Amino acid sequence: MSTHPDPRARLAGGLLFWYAVLGGAIAWALHLLTGWGIDELACAAGSEAVGPVPLRTALSATVVLPALATVGALLAATLLWRRTTHVVTDGEDRPVGRSRLLALVGIWSNLLFLTIIVLGGIALLVLPPCQR
Amino acid sequence: MSTTAAPAPGASRGDLARLERHWGETPSVRSWLTTVDHKRIGRRYLVTAGLFFALAGLSALAMRTQLARPEAGMLSPEEYNQLFTMHGTTMIFLFATPMLFGFGNVLVPLMIGSRDMAFPKLNALGYWVFLFSGLFMWASLPFGAAPNNGWFAYVPLSDEQHNPGLHMDVYSLGLLFLGVATTAGSINFIVTALKLRAPGMSLNRVPLFVWAIVATGFMVIFALPALNVDNAMLFLDRRFGTHFFDPEAGGNVLLWQHLFWIFGHPDVYIIVMPALGIVSAVLPAFTRRGVVGYPLVVLAIVSISIISFGVWVHHMFATGLPQLSYSFFSAASTIITIPSGIQIFAWLATMMLGRLVLRVPLLFVIGFIVTFVLGGLTGAMFALTAFDQQVTDSYFVVAHFHYVLIGGAVFPMLAGIYFWLPKITGRMYHEGLGRWAFWLVFVGMHVTFFPMHLYGLFGMPRRVYTYRSEAGWDGWNLVSTVGSYVLALGLLLVLVGVVHAIRRGRPAPPDPWGGDTLDWSTDSPPKPYNFPVLPRVRSLHPNWDGPSRESMATGAEPDRVLADGRRTLRTSELDGRRERAVEMPEPSFQPLVLALAMLTFFTALLLAWYPVAAGAAATVAVTLAVWLWPPRRPDTEVGVSA
Amino acid sequence: MSGSMTAATGTEALTTEMPVGRSTGWWGMVMFVATEATLFACLLGSYFYLRFQYGPTWPPPGITEPTLLRPLVMTAVLLPSSLPVIWAEHGIRRGERWRLRAGLATTLVLGATFLALQASEYTEKLREFTMTTNAYGSLFYVITGFHGLHVLIGLTMISWLLAASLRGGSFGSHRHDRVRNVAIYWHFVDVVWAAILFTIYLSPRL
Ligand code: HEM
Repeated sequence: MSTHPDPRARLAGGLLFWYAVLGGAIAWALHLLTGWGIDELACAAGSEAVGPVPLRTALSATVVLPALATVGALLAATLLWRRTTHVVTDGEDRPVGRSRLLALVGIWSNLLFLTIIVLGGIALLVLPPCQR
Repeated sequence: MSTTAAPAPGASRGDLARLERHWGETPSVRSWLTTVDHKRIGRRYLVTAGLFFALAGLSALAMRTQLARPEAGMLSPEEYNQLFTMHGTTMIFLFATPMLFGFGNVLVPLMIGSRDMAFPKLNALGYWVFLFSGLFMWASLPFGAAPNNGWFAYVPLSDEQHNPGLHMDVYSLGLLFLGVATTAGSINFIVTALKLRAPGMSLNRVPLFVWAIVATGFMVIFALPALNVDNAMLFLDRRFGTHFFDPEAGGNVLLWQHLFWIFGHPDVYIIVMPALGIVSAVLPAFTRRGVVGYPLVVLAIVSISIISFGVWVHHMFATGLPQLSYSFFSAASTIITIPSGIQIFAWLATMMLGRLVLRVPLLFVIGFIVTFVLGGLTGAMFALTAFDQQVTDSYFVVAHFHYVLIGGAVFPMLAGIYFWLPKITGRMYHEGLGRWAFWLVFVGMHVTFFPMHLYGLFGMPRRVYTYRSEAGWDGWNLVSTVGSYVLALGLLLVLVGVVHAIRRGRPAPPDPWGGDTLDWSTDSPPKPYNFPVLPRVRSLHPNWDGPSRESMATGAEPDRVLADGRRTLRTSELDGRRERAVEMPEPSFQPLVLALAMLTFFTALLLAWYPVAAGAAATVAVTLAVWLWPPRRPDTEVGVSA
Repeated sequence: MSGSMTAATGTEALTTEMPVGRSTGWWGMVMFVATEATLFACLLGSYFYLRFQYGPTWPPPGITEPTLLRPLVMTAVLLPSSLPVIWAEHGIRRGERWRLRAGLATTLVLGATFLALQASEYTEKLREFTMTTNAYGSLFYVITGFHGLHVLIGLTMISWLLAASLRGGSFGSHRHDRVRNVAIYWHFVDVVWAAILFTIYLSPRL
């Protein structure tokens, strides 16, 4: 265990922390915007393709990529949780309490967002993209 | 868990005198117009929002009186339109959110152990703007020019061609004006909670009410712009002949609906979320334990505020989106019920595991749970598309959203009023009077709105000023009307209770309930500087743990007294580590002047006095420039090399 | 590499407090910019919504595609105008007041040039179509006009800073919160222009 990480490691750690907490939420937002936007616009234009890519493939990407990103965030949150499990709080303010709370929030919220994205993926499997 | 809190003897008498000199305000007209004290501003928010509630409630009574019998002639259709629009618009915009902001204003600094909000002058501005925009909208009613298009003002019915006159100009300008106050308030809450928490209050020790207010603030910041853009376009379409919503010239009416609900759906949570925060704040005192599953409730607050942005499409069933993109949104609408459920179960578990103390605030919390859950049930029924299309625009919908809004906002607010009345006024309320009020409100509410489900299902449409008796809706309508009078009587009793407490109530101790948060560790009512010694927080329930309380008494340190000057502590964002003491602004006329200039601006726009509007805009700019002008300091102090 | 990986995922690094130490003013401005950015997002979203609901010919018949030369010049004037602000801010942090003054003045000139160019564009376009011609006209003038208004507000803020800095005793290495906040606003106004350039001028050609 390195006790005094250099500033770059700290920056990376801090970013990883926020990815663990909010990654799922952001991935879901992107999924919703791109998925809805592409479907809506392509169908309004009356075509089943986005440029060279078939519409269904493009839509799958808007489901699969955010889902993977969310899984990543879930793993990061789990890591954060485990890394803060057996920390002795040496007296005063060690920030583990805050990190643990947000790790837990991260784990559960990433699960929620993953579920939403996966539900969207299931819809993509059963519904033709442009059916009204 | 101590139940009596002695005033902290941590600061010396000299310190107290100096604090009083820097923060104290002598009552005078001047101080009334210039104050920046968050407690006074918060109190004003509460009273003013209460006034608007009364106005909107009286409109509702007028409507119910008209609807008591078939083919009654008390109100004309035009009057009825204005009444239901003003009722809905006022309840949503001028009552619910400002009332909760009032609670937030009084409580956030007290709960986080700070001496004021982060931007006290902005706070004062927010209040004045709220007051003026409310008056701006209501002033149109005596002229017969009040908004008349329903609270969501769908185009094309709200455009110039179909709705001439000032009605909808009042609506769009009034809401834009009000938006200034709501945005300013939200930013203030967020920054206050991020930067002014007492040292030691890391995020895992932040009271749930504060979490809820901050989440609300974020929702406002990202949702309100959609409404503002919408209203700006509506005003431009109506007044200056643009074509955003005009299909003849390339516009689209659905644009209004999309933008409106991008705002409108989060707005349901903007209204309900802080109210749920009140519930989480009230429960610990009357169950003698912390809310069960604190991290899960935080999770619920955070995830609801995010997901609420992804469900707007479900307000627009009949608009012909591709089913697939529709289901992306339905997935969110389905999942958002999970965090909502988590909160309900957390409260139920808290009540099961705790020792219940059945005082009036707890009664209202129980009333809230019952009503809100019923509203949620009818909400779940809408998820069935076929059912939704059947009851859309019937009284069933009116019943549903009143269960959600009265259950989810009004009951918690009433709980909050009784709960914090001792803190705010320093007086205890009359328990018996409070119980009567509760039962009247509770019974009145259900007698009014439950029958609406029925006659909604029997086909009575909403927004009709009368109906024929052949339809067979008369009996239930009469029941509703009787119920609404009972409800009004109950609310009147609440008012009587408050006035009685202020006039006759016995003096309240600092902590009458044995509450867990910092607001209960200071005087009732608090001194202008809130805390003689700013606390050093060591747990989630600082008022229940010895060391945190000690830190304000014998454990006081001079750098938490900060008696020379108007000062409070700034701490770090996540872990609440001490950063430095910051200066707080003095009372000032600037907020009032700025708000008056804005009022002039919007009034001039409404009446098409454009040169006046330009003058008012210039006044706004000048006032702001003066407001923010940097104080002059010696070069050595600001740090200039040359 | 793997060493820094473990360092970054260690307890110590993961619990780094970030963001930290910002002032209340900074947060206030960032939140304000966030809500303003959402406002522009709604406007630009409305543009695309109306455009795709309208049909294949966009801009509607009777209005020619926007020409690119002038907007590109405007971009070349506005986007770099952030640099003097950055330079000025760095200067005042070191207590060098002349840099603050010079930087702000430069930005002022660039911003004013942008507005002048926009005015000349309007005079030309207004002969072709106006805000009331059709929805395209409404979108064009409202979006660019609203942004122009923001540039004007930004310029007012910069002149105000400049005036305060000319007086002396206002800013220095210990006091530069206001400079910082105005800088954030100005950068925002710049970035929004890039989004508008893409939406209004470039996207019809796609
Ligand atoms: C105090 C007791 C209340 C009564 C007796 C009442 C009664 C009514 C009635 C009769 C209508 C009109 C139905 C129609 O003609 O379509 C209505 C509409 C409405 N109410 Fe209430 N209401 C009350 C409280 C509230 C509260 C507390 C809120 C929100 C916080 C609220 C929000 C609304 C809204 C949004 C509408 C829809 C207005 C529209 O159609 O545009 N009401 N209410």
